[in-house]
Amino acid sequence: MFRGTIDLKSLWPTGAIFIVLLILPPILPRFYTYIIAVIFVTSLLAMSLNLVLGHGMIFQFHHGVFYGVGAYTVALILTKTSLPMWIGFIAGPIAAAMAGLLIGWFCVRLTRLYFGMLQISLGSLIWAIVFRWYSFTGGDDGIHGIPMPPPLSSLNNAYYFILIILIICLVVLYLILKSPFGSTLEAIRDNPQRCEAVGVNVRRHQLMAIVIATFFAGIAGVLFVVLEGSVFPDLLFWVLSLEVCIMCLLGGWFTFAGPMVGASIMVALRTFVGIYTEYWTLVLGVILILLIFFLPEGVMGYFLEKVKPQAEEGAERRSELDVAS
Amino acid sequence: MKRGTIIIIVVLIAIAAAFVYYFTRPPKIVRPIKVGIIDCYSGPPAVFGKDALNGFKLALAEINKEGVLGAKIEFTTRDTKFKVDIGLSMAKELVMRENVDVLVGTISSGVALAVSDYVRREKVPFIVWISKSERITGQKGHRYVFSTGENTALAGKAGGVALAQKPYVKYWIAGDDYSYGHDIAHAAWRNLAKLKPGVKKMGESWWKVGEPDLIPYLTAIQAAKPDAVIFATGGRSMANVLKAAKTTGMAGKIPIWIHTATDHAVLKPLGPEAPEGVMGTMDYHFYYPDTPANKAFVKAFQDAYGEPPGFPAFHAYMTGHFIAEAFKKAGALDKEKFVDALEGLKIDAPVGEVEMRACDHQAVLPIFLGVTKKVPQYNFAISSDIVTLSGKDVMPTCEEIKKARGK
Amino acid sequence: MELGQSIDLASLGSQLLVGLSRAMILFIVCAGLSFVLGVLRVPNVAHGSLYMIGAFSAYSVFALFGTSSTGFWLSLILAPFVVALVSLIAERALFCHLYQREHLMLLLFTFALMLIFGDLVKIIWGAEYRSVLAPSILRGSISIFGSSLPRYNLFLLIVGPLVAIGLWFFTSKTKIGKISRAAAVDREMVGVIGINVSWVFAGAFVLGCFLAGFGGALVAPTVSISLGMDHDIIIEAFLIVTIGGLGNIWGALVGSLIFGLTHSFGVLLWPQFAIVFPYAAVVIVLLLRPRGLLKSVW
Repeated sequence: MFRGTIDLKSLWPTGAIFIVLLILPPILPRFYTYIIAVIFVTSLLAMSLNLVLGHGMIFQFHHGVFYGVGAYTVALILTKTSLPMWIGFIAGPIAAAMAGLLIGWFCVRLTRLYFGMLQISLGSLIWAIVFRWYSFTGGDDGIHGIPMPPPLSSLNNAYYFILIILIICLVVLYLILKSPFGSTLEAIRDNPQRCEAVGVNVRRHQLMAIVIATFFAGIAGVLFVVLEGSVFPDLLFWVLSLEVCIMCLLGGWFTFAGPMVGASIMVALRTFVGIYTEYWTLVLGVILILLIFFLPEGVMGYFLEKVKPQAEEGAERRSELDVAS
Repeated sequence: MKRGTIIIIVVLIAIAAAFVYYFTRPPKIVRPIKVGIIDCYSGPPAVFGKDALNGFKLALAEINKEGVLGAKIEFTTRDTKFKVDIGLSMAKELVMRENVDVLVGTISSGVALAVSDYVRREKVPFIVWISKSERITGQKGHRYVFSTGENTALAGKAGGVALAQKPYVKYWIAGDDYSYGHDIAHAAWRNLAKLKPGVKKMGESWWKVGEPDLIPYLTAIQAAKPDAVIFATGGRSMANVLKAAKTTGMAGKIPIWIHTATDHAVLKPLGPEAPEGVMGTMDYHFYYPDTPANKAFVKAFQDAYGEPPGFPAFHAYMTGHFIAEAFKKAGALDKEKFVDALEGLKIDAPVGEVEMRACDHQAVLPIFLGVTKKVPQYNFAISSDIVTLSGKDVMPTCEEIKKARGK
Repeated sequence: MELGQSIDLASLGSQLLVGLSRAMILFIVCAGLSFVLGVLRVPNVAHGSLYMIGAFSAYSVFALFGTSSTGFWLSLILAPFVVALVSLIAERALFCHLYQREHLMLLLFTFALMLIFGDLVKIIWGAEYRSVLAPSILRGSISIFGSSLPRYNLFLLIVGPLVAIGLWFFTSKTKIGKISRAAAVDREMVGVIGINVSWVFAGAFVLGCFLAGFGGALVAPTVSISLGMDHDIIIEAFLIVTIGGLGNIWGALVGSLIFGLTHSFGVLLWPQFAIVFPYAAVVIVLLLRPRGLLKSVW
């Protein structure tokens, strides 16, 4: 869907969705506005992960850490200093990207599961620091009641702010993937050995991708603070990171928009199944298994395959990957 | 692709239309009082969440016989999974979608503090019934948050008062490495050191929450030979501590104080394995105080759920009655009037009269200090030689609260 | 922040034994995880859930036999089989249809299993804490090196090596063990020579889960059995398997020893932050030997 050149024809449905989202808040009850905003934030997080997971085949298993670092940075700047708000908003993603650079620098020397496990152990250390450092991060209680300036304090305004940032980020992510850098990243994913042979610095490319992805995760963290006004160590816990991975897989990790679909499904399930039963993880598990069996390429992947069968070569790529491992 | 996007748009519009229809329906004229419960029903804390829910149900069954202001009290529950983000979004759902009149619940102090900040902005009363962080009604307290459970300041002071009367000098502090553990250890040590300036802290050990293997910690503590040990732990870690204290032989040799060591939910599964002689503080036992009020509560609870109530059930039962009495006193289904009415309200609870202190919205609860002991009539250990510390004596004063909030 | 008390030989000795005994339980659980990783190439996130089911089943067996010492011994034997049965059902009904998929999808599947098992345990056993009582011969502690050591930990020190020997015998002396080792290295080749790979995988998966269940049953008398045990162990187990070398069960042994010993000595050195030591050890090992200490089968 996003493979060809951008033509106006393919832009109008995206524009239509955008307009629908713009007019929703005044019509919808507040709670649904809130949930859609949660979906926006989670979508951005999943999209940022998929830049490395789906498009780079880098097993970024602890992506939540960078989300949390972004959120904590802005929360600490807003509560502990008198710096203007925008500095916090910029510092969040930058801090996340720096954490990404640091952890990524250690991890890119490894591949696949080893990469993922080293990242989980390094990420868990950061989680443990945040969890324990009572005087600075508030420990496991977290920081609550983060002051938001009036233009962002109402739910509808926060919604529009998040929506606009999300759109900008999506456009930038899309352009990155379409750039030579993005193509190289996908080429590395599909055949790392060949890329190395033609003189691509695989590790540097991967590290760069990680830094970009963690920067966007930091933006998602900032948006989380705008929406919730709270931060807490659960944001950096491995369970959340695994959930984000699952959003990508669920939505379709070889597609551009898949992670957003996955995030929407996960947030919606969590919220609305939780209303009816306390066994909502059971329901979630069963739904996941059904999706794995019947939609192996994820929801978006399935959708694209149905609509445009010749576009997807997912099966082919999969077998290539198995060989590559 | 074109067709696909059209489908997406149609679906989105249909969902939007459904929402609009659903929410523009005419509202019901007469409505019951709605209470939203956010609590943890999964993972290790579930045992407490379920017990609390049963206690609350029992209270509502009694209250709804005659009703409050001509209406019944209804409730709806949400599972937080002990996670702050989920708890917060569940609380928002209850407030914004279900329009609950009162929020209650939470075991996790993190969830309680996050929700407390949210209800402050939304002006919805929130009654915390298990979370023990002293910051909920202390430093971070405000007009809309209440607590019907004992908190770390209260329990820590009770422990400090109790230990100050003992001859021990050299202490070791060990516990779960999270804010509950640190808070309670800190509160106990602060009070003990104030009451008995000669005490000495030999060292501290902290393990991760839920650590399955505590033997290395306990053997290391034993090797240091302290006079007494303060364990700051709770829930399932408590059972692990008691088991390890028994197997390493520490329980017989070194005096131990743990808040909630005498909790039935912990001692019952241990059965004959429970160590004897461990000092514990607790704010409720189904077998103590041996008063008609408590007996009646225990009997009603046992008939309804087949087991005796634990401390969460007691807190939740009180919470139910506080809500009913406050609405009666307020005389209207109004959140502001409800808050005003709840301040300083006194109710008859199973442990006697309990007051909701007006200055910090903390229920004044007596604390029972006891020692674990096996008795012939039960197949589990109970708390014995109970000394009751009156709530007023172990709570921080209103001035201290003001000072904490002033910061 | 003061450090721990002055360290003498007696406390070193007892921490060594205590750390070794913890390592034995970790080894039993992680060997199972590593075995599944090696043969099936699946990071089984549900491994911790099976460990939890093992502990709960041990409780049920123990309660069934009137909480006697016979009950305890039977629970050690029966609980792993309950877990093996559960895993066999999950494998044959669902998992075996997915082996051709990308590994991350298999990870997603085991994550779904973890969610389902977590709630099923709650439905079957409820939220209450459970406890298993060790038989009187294993209760209490004995004096050794001038400090006391729980007898149950000594028991673990005997069981652990037995399991290790059993695993060695199985993988290098029996035909099925050899086949599964071969399948770990080159699954196509095993298929080519006419062996039903699907059943080899099933066997490996069930054996791995059996070990998880056995670990759960062994740990039952020392902890309170509760929901959430799955989350407690799974990350540790993955780290151990990683530092040992993915899929190498001897690596799991080395990793468990590192984890257990750094923890128990860390307690002695710096009791406030003992938990940092094993994680720091993991980071150091992975920085020095990125692919684990022993040869990975990957």
